[in-house]
Parts: sequence; C-alpha cells; structure tokens
Amino acid sequence: MAKNAKQRTDIQIAICGSAGDGTIAAGDILKQAMAKAGYNVIAFDVYPPEIRGFGKCIARARITSEQVYSLKSESDCLVSLDDSHAIPHVPEVCKYGTVIYEDTPMSEMAEGTHISSHLASAQLPYGVAFREISERVTSSARSRNIVAVGYLAGLYDMPAEIFHQVIGRKFSGKPKELTDSVLSAFDAGFQTGAETFRLHFDRIGASRSKSKQSDLVMMSGNAATVRGCLDAGIDTFFGYPITPATTIMEMLAREMPKRGARLLQTEDEISAIAATLGAGYAGARAATATSGPGLALMSEMMGLGAMAELPAVAFVSQRGGPSTGMPTKTEQSDLNLAVFGVAGDGQRIILAPTNVEGCYKCAGKAFEMAEKYQTPVIVLLDLYLSNRYEAVELPVENPFSENCSKPVKKKPGKTKYSRFKLTSDGISPRAIPGDEDCMHTVTGLEHNEQGRPNDQPEIHQIMSAKRHEKLLTAVKHPGITISKRFGDKGKVDVGILGWGSTFGEILEAMIEARKEGIRCSAMKVVMLSPLPLGPIHAFMDDCGEVLVPELNYEAQFAALVTGATGRPVHRLNRVTGTPMRVREILAEIRRLAGQTEMIAAE
Amino acid sequence: MMNIHQPVYLEDKLEEVESSGKLAYRSQTLPTWCPGCGYFSIVEGVSKAMTDLGLNQKDTVCVSGIGCASRFPFFMNTFGFHSLHGRALPVATGIKVANDDLTVIVVGGDGDAFAIGGAHIPHAARRNIDITYILFDNGVYGLTKGQTSPTSIVGFKTTTTPYLNVDQPLNPLMMLLSYGASWVAQAYAGEPHHLTEMIEAAVAHRGFSYLHVLSPCVTFDKTSMTYKNLGMTVRPLPGDHDTSDFAAAMAAAQNTDLPQLGVYFAKERPTLADGLNEIAARAEATV
Repeated sequence: MAKNAKQRTDIQIAICGSAGDGTIAAGDILKQAMAKAGYNVIAFDVYPPEIRGFGKCIARARITSEQVYSLKSESDCLVSLDDSHAIPHVPEVCKYGTVIYEDTPMSEMAEGTHISSHLASAQLPYGVAFREISERVTSSARSRNIVAVGYLAGLYDMPAEIFHQVIGRKFSGKPKELTDSVLSAFDAGFQTGAETFRLHFDRIGASRSKSKQSDLVMMSGNAATVRGCLDAGIDTFFGYPITPATTIMEMLAREMPKRGARLLQTEDEISAIAATLGAGYAGARAATATSGPGLALMSEMMGLGAMAELPAVAFVSQRGGPSTGMPTKTEQSDLNLAVFGVAGDGQRIILAPTNVEGCYKCAGKAFEMAEKYQTPVIVLLDLYLSNRYEAVELPVENPFSENCSKPVKKKPGKTKYSRFKLTSDGISPRAIPGDEDCMHTVTGLEHNEQGRPNDQPEIHQIMSAKRHEKLLTAVKHPGITISKRFGDKGKVDVGILGWGSTFGEILEAMIEARKEGIRCSAMKVVMLSPLPLGPIHAFMDDCGEVLVPELNYEAQFAALVTGATGRPVHRLNRVTGTPMRVREILAEIRRLAGQTEMIAAE
Repeated sequence: MMNIHQPVYLEDKLEEVESSGKLAYRSQTLPTWCPGCGYFSIVEGVSKAMTDLGLNQKDTVCVSGIGCASRFPFFMNTFGFHSLHGRALPVATGIKVANDDLTVIVVGGDGDAFAIGGAHIPHAARRNIDITYILFDNGVYGLTKGQTSPTSIVGFKTTTTPYLNVDQPLNPLMMLLSYGASWVAQAYAGEPHHLTEMIEAAVAHRGFSYLHVLSPCVTFDKTSMTYKNLGMTVRPLPGDHDTSDFAAAMAAAQNTDLPQLGVYFAKERPTLADGLNEIAARAEATV
C-alpha cells in the first residue's frame, strides 16, 4: 500500500544500544523528523546515570496519525545497536513486528549472544551491515547509528529530505565535512532500507489531518516548562544541577540573559530556594528547579515562604527514591514531600501537569498564582514527563498575565502600611522594596498585621486561617484547568482518578475499556494542593469503583484523596522505574468492572 | 579610638540625637537585647551610616538569619527580611540579583554564619555580590541560652559542653580573606565610634564587604569574650598597614590573642551584577 493512501499510522519504534553508541541521538533525529513530517509523536528515552560505562540506552518513539496519550506497552520495531542490551527487549516487539540488527559482527559470537537467535517465529528479522556501510561511506564505524536511522527511514518509506533537514540543523555549527559525512551515512542506510524486500504493513501510513499541521512543535516536558517560564516573564532563576531537572536550568541559562533576565547557579538547593524567595520578596518573578532530594533540602524555606507570604515557583521533577534512589528512572513518589514536607501548617499550591502541553500552562500559571496568592507554588513533574517528547500546539497569543499582584492603594494622610492586613479573601496588598512609605520586615516568626513578631494565641489562630483561606480561592484561578473528566458521562462502573505523567496511560486504558463495553471514565487532577474537592466528590459519586494508578509504592495520591474525601479507593502501584503499562491498568479496570457486575447481580 | 571621653549631659545628647536625623532610620520597636549587649551598636551604627551616606529607607533592605543579632531588621525603619537560621546570605543574593538598585545590609551572629550558614559565605564572597555583611561575634549561642559556637575558645564551658569545649575555634577573618572577600575589617562593640566608622566604610564599599565585630555576650559569657578581656587586648591595626597587601592582611588576621581593629583588606573588583550584565550583553549579541 502506498503511503499516500489514507491508512492510519500507529507505529512505535525502539532503538536500543549501549551508552556511547549514539542511541539517543538516533532516536532524536527520528522523532524530530517525523514530527516535522506532520505526524504526532510521543517519545521517551531511557538511559543510565553514567555518561559512558556501557549502560543501556533505549530511545522509544510512537508515531501516529491520530492523537494518542502515551507510549504503547509493545513496540512495532526494535533497532539493536548492541545485542546484549537489546535481547531482553525482543519480547516487547509485537507479533509480526520488525527487529533490525547488525548482521556482520566484528568477531565470532558465542552461541546465543546474537539477537537473531532470540526472535519469536512471528517477528520479522532484518539483518543489516551497519558497521560496514558506515565504514564504506564515512571511513569510520562511528556513524552506524545514523546508518541505522537511514535504514529505518528507507524501510518504512519515510521522507528522506526531512531527515536531511533535521540532521543539517542538528549538526549546524559543526564543520561541513562532518555534516556531509553524516548525511552520506544516512543516505547509504536509506538506500539499503528502500531496496529491502518487506511486507506492506511495514510502511508508514498517513500523517495528521492537514488542518492541524502548521502550529505543532516537538518539545520535551522540560522544554515546554522553560517556554512557560519565558512567556510568563521570568525575571530570575536560581538553581542547582540535579537529574532530571537540570535541562530546565540549562535551557534557561541560554535564553534568560537574551531578555535581560538573570540566572545564577547557587551553591546548593537551600540557597537556590532562599534566593528565589529573596528575589520574589524584591518583586521579581522568580523560580528554581530541582528533584526530590533537592525539594527535601528546600522544605524549611518552603515553610518560610508560606509564613512570610512570599511568591516563589519551584519545578520539581521526580525520580526514583528514596534518597539518591534511581536518578535516571521515573517515579511519582515525591507527592507526600511536596504536599506535607514542611514544619508546621505550611500549605502551598501544587500543580501537576499530565502532558507536555500541560507543562507549559502550569509553568506560566505558577508564576501568576505565586504572585497573586503570595505563596510558594510547586510544579510537580517527573522524569517521564520532563524527558518525554510530544508534538504540541502552543497558543499564538501569550496566555499569561503580566502582573497579578494585589496593589497597595495609596491613601492620602498617614495610614501606616500593614503588609499582612486581614482582608475578606485573605490576600493582603503587597508592597516591595523601593515602594514609598511601605517599609516593613517579613519574618518566619508568627506576626501581626504589621509583620511584627507576635505569638499571642488569637493572632496565631487568625493568621493561620488567613494563610489557608487565601489558597482556597486559587482553585478558581482563571485560565487553567485544574481537574477534568474524560470518557463516559453520568454513572459509570469504574472511574479512574489520575495525576501527573501516568494520566496518558490512564486515558489509553480507559479508551480500550470503553471499546470493550465497560462504562468507564477518567479524571485528571492537576491541582494537588489545595485539592479541588468539589469536582472530585462529584466524580466519585458517579463511580461504582474508583481506581488510582500511580508510580509509587505507598499509594500517595490515593491516600491523599481518601484522607480528603473519607472515601475508599482501589490502588494500583508500580515502582519499576518505567511508565505504567496500559494493559496493567486495563486489567484492573476489567477486574473492577466484573466486581461491579457481580454486586449488581446480587 | 582610645581618646579620653568628655562628660556627656543627657539634654545635650538628646538634642544631638534628635537633630542628627538618625531616628528616621529607627522603627518604633525597641531592641530586645539584654542590657549591656554589644548588639545595640548595630542599630546605632547602621542608622548613622545611612544618615551620613544619605541612603533612602525605601531603597534599603536589612536581611538577617536567626539568632540574637538577627532580630536587627525589626528595629529599623527600612525594608527587612528576617529569614531562616544560616540563610541570610542566599536570601540577600536573591534580593540583590532581582534589584541591583537596593542597598542590602546583612547582619548575623557567629553561629548563624559559621555553623549552619557556613556553606554560603565562600560563595557570596567569591561572587563579590555588592552587599554588606556585618557579623557580630560573641562566641556563644545566646538565643538558645548559652551553647558553644564555632568561635568559642577551647575550654569554654557551656550547657552543651559542661566539662569543656574541645573544638578549636574558626578564624573568620582568615576565612573571609581566603574566600576572596573584596573588603574585610574588624571592629569591637566596646569601641562604638570606630565601629560606626567601619559600618559606614563597609556600606560604602562597592562589592562584598565583611565587617567582623567582636561583641561580648553579657548574659552567657562571663569568662571568655568579656568587655574586660577584650578591652584589654584589642588594639588598632598598625598605622602603616597596607590594605591592598593580601599577605599582610592574612598575617594580621592570625593574631587572635591581640585582635586588631580596622580595615584589613580592600580591593575593588567586578561585582556579581557586573558579571551578570556582561553575560546579558554577550547573550543579546547572539540574538
């Protein structure tokens, strides 16, 4: 079947190699090119914490014509750049799926060490001489990853000219001879692939419908976060490198100075958040980014931010924990730390986007909220979301407000300014250094309306109420979806409550379950503190059973929801360091739907 | 220093204080320190320095951590940030990076600075961030009622070292010099006029200025850094001390038995703001 026939596209390609093989680079070229060619792409790379050292790297990309929400449990194609790493992944290749591998090893291999001996009978083997081709056209074996990408593109009939553009851009700034050599490696691979006899369903199908092609950009969760920061007018950023948040600081370090904004790499995470609060106090839109271990260090400062009512935005990209845990593996286990990690009653706002586009929106809105509600805002990401690539459509008009601060109204005569004035919504007019006649001192001590230390019983009661009640209005903050229901409306057998990056898998599982005739819907919760209890209660009222799948061992979100609503939920927890499998969620939905039927029958 | 003081009459003093303009920098909150505490001179010194330098209250931020000395911002009629134990310097860094037009004065004690906050001092100094750090060293934890501090002498008995303190004290002047602070000086709370001069010079310096103030704790230290002991040992730096000579500054800082007062080292170099402006200029050139 020719590619211009209206055949739906849904193929997932996994490239697997050893650190240093160029696996991630090959995957990057593939996903950039396919997004440029007009396909939806969701991509996620898995790599070891070591830079070299022969750790396993896998770049996965799902290329589709329709909107999808997550990677698939099974891949349609596996490209092996290193058989010892790729062999365990052969079972993830679907029936009649493709396995592409090096068929001319450098030396004799022991029995069972070559990938070809591990294929199932219904998997299609494509042996290619990557190394020989690379050596022939570039006089070096180093471009074998590019040859592999070229072969893949040729085999699937992907548009070579777009790969050329992507490679040209990736190597811009490098010597022309190098770019030419890489392009010739691609072409040699492409030609070999195109000349290979293959079955028709290996070819790529239609791209997205034409109407939506123009404004889509391929970006990672962290890149979308950075774009959100820039569009919201970030003034200062203070950070300390930590996987998987480091790329946020790296991208901001390039972009912020171009706009006159300032970025500083601090001596630790404590100073990063301290400086962020200092800058926020001085009127800046200020942010930091870290992971769980960094947030643990920041928790005392987060309490100061709550007490002194200071704006600050902290992007926290979770990874496997506790402690140093699994720095390059994904997990959703810092929810408790984000929600509860503070001395005393120090509630703050927590937003958890569920996809790359959400990262952009939450990042920008976090600055608005921090400024308006005068409190730290944590945007909770995770490695799977930070490093996941999606083709997203960003708004043409900047959607973020420039100033959300409640201004001090100047009254004629001598009214002394009260920084922590009690108001109906709990939000006090805020002055910053430089404002005339508004001198005041902020403090982590309990204080009265003027900001003077005060530990009288009624003061602590009233001020605690002020600090908590002002956050309740944040649930109605304009321009952001803080919870949303998908799937069947009205009463359903099974409802799935989800948060963060796992929500993509939840949606896919829900769609499958509905195809099977199960009445089912899913709700994403983006604001995790304060919880949007109204919509959550309404959703739970409609559900026979409620399932909460999440990537942590302690069922942290399930416990949070149960604690807040007093209603039991079913938990589904995995801590494998990888995204949750759609089929695992689906199995649980089926089980719960069966239970509901049995109860109904009784 | 060391001059013979003339008798002072209360009426004259009141008139002098009221006409000086210093009170405009004082808040209506009275200092909470113990009678006789060396810290009273911070408020006096900073107020006078601000008066003399013509600083505007609204453009000045006093930042502190936690401890007796750290209560200082509440006593000033400026903007203030009473932050967390040990974290005054990074908070001040954030304020100054956000708004370089502000005058930022950081005040802290020896525990706040050299125990819990020790990690921040080298970085504030090496970045040469344009703030003033006034460190009141009394060699004891006062707010928690008398425990040993990083500058307590060996043998000092406190509630947590009831037999003796065995940890050798730090030498803050040598530390700050080696960290690259561009202005380092020492003063003594028992010499308030000299202290005020030093505060003024510290605030006037463009870059990171560190003023070490020896300040007795009259409540929890009856044996070590008392007015009596310090009063007998402190002396001015030699008249020919060269403030541009780093080696001479380090040599003078080693003399902890006879602490010398005055400016040890002063050298202008680009500040953090200069550096960030340079980065912005290079980045804008790429656009």
